[in-house]
Amino acid sequence: MNLEKLKEIVRTVLPSVDVVIGYKKGLDALHPVPCFLTSPDEIDALVLNPACMHNLAAYLPSLKNRAAVVVKGCDSRTVVQLAQEGLIKRENVVVIGVPCQGAVSVRKVLSAIDHQPVIEASFENDTVVIKTKKGEARLALRDVAPDKCLACRYPTPVVADHLAGEEVEPKIDEKTAYQEIREFDARSLEERRAYWMAEFDRCIRCYACRNACPLCVCRESCIAETRDPHWMSQKATQNEKMMFHMIHAIHLAGRCTECGECERACPMGIPVARLKKKINMEMKELFGYEPGISMDDKPPMYTFKVEEEKIEEHKIR
Amino acid sequence: MKKAGYLKKQKEKEFIAALGAKARVYAPCLEDEAVLFKPVEPDSVICLSRPAVSSPKSAIYPQSETLFSFRFKKDSEDPRRTLVELDDTIAVPDTIIFGARPCDARGIAVIDRAFSKTETPDPYYLARRAKTTIVTLTCPEPSTGCFCTRVGCGPAETSDSDVMMTELEDGYLMEALTSKGEALLESPILEDGTAYEAQAKEAQKAAHERMIKEAGEADTTPVDPETFHSQVFWEKAAERCLGCGACTYLCPTCYCFNITDEQVVDKGERIRSWDACMFHHFTLEASGHNPRAQKALRLKNRIGHKFVYYGEKYDGIIACSGCGRCIRGCPVSMEISTIAAALKKNSGTVSGEQ
Amino acid sequence: MSSEQLIAAIKNPYLPDLATVIGAVDETPNIKSFRVVLNDEEKMKRFSFEPGQVGQLSVFGVGESTFVINSPPTRMEYLQFSAMKAGEATAALHELSLGDQIGVRAPLGNWFPYRQMKGRDILFVGGGIGLAPLRTLILFMLDTRKDYGDITIIYGARSHADLCYKKDLEDWGKRNDVELILTVDANSPGPPIREGFVPTVLNEIAPKPDHKVAITCGPPIMIKYVLQNLAQLGFKDEDVITTLEARMKCGIGLCGRCNIGSSFICKDGPVFSLAELKRLKFEI
Repeated sequence: MNLEKLKEIVRTVLPSVDVVIGYKKGLDALHPVPCFLTSPDEIDALVLNPACMHNLAAYLPSLKNRAAVVVKGCDSRTVVQLAQEGLIKRENVVVIGVPCQGAVSVRKVLSAIDHQPVIEASFENDTVVIKTKKGEARLALRDVAPDKCLACRYPTPVVADHLAGEEVEPKIDEKTAYQEIREFDARSLEERRAYWMAEFDRCIRCYACRNACPLCVCRESCIAETRDPHWMSQKATQNEKMMFHMIHAIHLAGRCTECGECERACPMGIPVARLKKKINMEMKELFGYEPGISMDDKPPMYTFKVEEEKIEEHKIR
Repeated sequence: MKKAGYLKKQKEKEFIAALGAKARVYAPCLEDEAVLFKPVEPDSVICLSRPAVSSPKSAIYPQSETLFSFRFKKDSEDPRRTLVELDDTIAVPDTIIFGARPCDARGIAVIDRAFSKTETPDPYYLARRAKTTIVTLTCPEPSTGCFCTRVGCGPAETSDSDVMMTELEDGYLMEALTSKGEALLESPILEDGTAYEAQAKEAQKAAHERMIKEAGEADTTPVDPETFHSQVFWEKAAERCLGCGACTYLCPTCYCFNITDEQVVDKGERIRSWDACMFHHFTLEASGHNPRAQKALRLKNRIGHKFVYYGEKYDGIIACSGCGRCIRGCPVSMEISTIAAALKKNSGTVSGEQ
Repeated sequence: MSSEQLIAAIKNPYLPDLATVIGAVDETPNIKSFRVVLNDEEKMKRFSFEPGQVGQLSVFGVGESTFVINSPPTRMEYLQFSAMKAGEATAALHELSLGDQIGVRAPLGNWFPYRQMKGRDILFVGGGIGLAPLRTLILFMLDTRKDYGDITIIYGARSHADLCYKKDLEDWGKRNDVELILTVDANSPGPPIREGFVPTVLNEIAPKPDHKVAITCGPPIMIKYVLQNLAQLGFKDEDVITTLEARMKCGIGLCGRCNIGSSFICKDGPVFSLAELKRLKFEI
């Protein structure tokens, strides 16, 4: 990740936009935060490192004016999807792409350092160096990468007006991208149900997963809370929680760009992104479609064919 | 009556099991990587080594609860009419919150005032509260985001708990602070704690000093009204907020709620469930009008409630216990401590945010 | 008393009283009034409230919403509430028929400071369904007429069809101790009355502020301009009273929706003077 190159681009782009969305230092070195630059004086505060996990494209639909946004490969897919769905106008967004060498999951880092407060964090090539009261821990980036990175096929942004760095080759192929899901699918129905029921049990229905999702657009009409139709109760039962997560995942079929913000936002540590990935795998197999890859695509759930090549259940034999 | 008992670490499980025999025990339990306050079950793994992600408020103020049930019935005198029967009886179990932190206990004290010091006290909350005993652990180390001493709480603060437990080398000193606490210490599993009192006092003092070093002394400077009512201040402060609401659900002092009816065929319940002032639709009226339509206004309300409005009602008390959960749980690391500090200055910006 | 006995003695503020709908009036195409009596006759007999106080009406299975009690405490045969069809709860209320069972939690909130208005001239300025809370006070004042000076009512709606409480308007129009000025937006078919928005009509009438209290309620945008115009006419902030509404759930100042700073519209309101609203930095 090339910070100097990024700053240079931001310097060039800033006069033509109202705001540049990037990253700056946050509460500690492991927690950079999104920042909104409007003046050249602020450019030096920019940071760029594997802890810059946030999908900044999530802010785009709420901005009225012309904005530039720093995106990693995964985040760039959100830009494409938002534009495809008419939630943003592509011409109002300057995309500053950052080819990504891999990110870190704060949760995994904290787990590796026994949840000690971080005094200092630095990043060297494939290693994260964390200093705590107990000493220094050197963690391989791979070991603390969020699950989404382990299956990443688009480290280089799929759309970019400027690219801050050299293109990065994906480390895995299409088959292995869904390996984890296939392995999970191989378990029995009862096992899978038990797994998810245990996970959903700790859901507090805060809806952070939904609210942090750049593609969840229903707002007050979300069936989790709407009274008309009144599909779900507000009771904190396992069934209601499961229902919410299933609907959330299915509403993102052919739309989820696997940015993982839902999972990152979940305060309870429920692996909610895995559900969306499973749906995406199905979408890929059924319709040969991957969300947020090409600006000209039409998501399969937005189109209708009298005969779908791979759906046969309805055919009378 | 025992004023102080000593719980050997190897007897911790046995002690909790004994408590479990007479009450529902809420303790921080390990679930995957998350530490959550939950009713303890035989296979629960209790984790006291770091603050729980969620607060124990759910023991007294559950995520969802039935206010009353209703049932429709044909009028036997006039079959065209439907009558309604209501039932608001509730069963309240004895509950022990084990391993709360002083900030958790402070959080409950904050909610206590809201639900009791009013002309219309809340019988559901108060019934559970009366049957709850709070056993609090002295916080040995500050965690990321902790700032309890700045808001007048502290890692060894005893004022909101029934029992204070302090970790020593091979056990915990358990000190009763109330009669409920004394009753809880009536256990043959505990040894006499007198010999450990001095040692515990040392540990508490050290914990307090460590936190002061990390977070600073109590800041009693009042909020600057001009800054507080500045739209620009809140727009800047809320800029990166995703409005996800996780902060409010994790917060030990937040108590906003929703009330909804849930009906199946001829019967149903009126439910109270946690809700969040950070949600756009929280204040959205049926007409489409929304008095808090922007996230800046919602953030102002949330922080205003904790640092201004609550105190206006209750002797200047701050409705934030400095637990840092909202900071640690925020996907964009919003820092309530920084915003609160900036509110006290008349600089018009969120310091450290520029 | 033990804490358990104390708690058992608390009146459950969430539990509604069961009540029966004994009358329903279509006020306008989307506003309906309901007359209800509590099923418990003793309770109904003992029931007392002040003009301006609100109640929560429950349609069980749907939910609750808040309405002002718009019949005056001087006429206690029933309690009247009026609902404009907007959301789920009001839609369900509109479906009710005579004899149906609903829940009532009332009275809630504060009331018009009518005791302090004794001997003074009163100006009512209302728009649309905003006449509901004013109706309570108007009827109350007419029932205790000698306590007050001149009574002026300026009331407007979008069209003739949208004017609420037509029977009352007719009565008030006939009285010679009440001055009633009605207005509708332009191009409304019906008997000739004024045309123009309420704030504009207020300026045309230009009532003198001397010895007068102004009470206003209507859509937020109307209130906003009425408050501005009253100030221009020289009304003091303490002599301008309004009643607010907001999304409410608990009705007891707890659930967190309707607060303006540390004040809750459901509990500390809904009635506020302009002076109070300014102190609370409330902007309509």
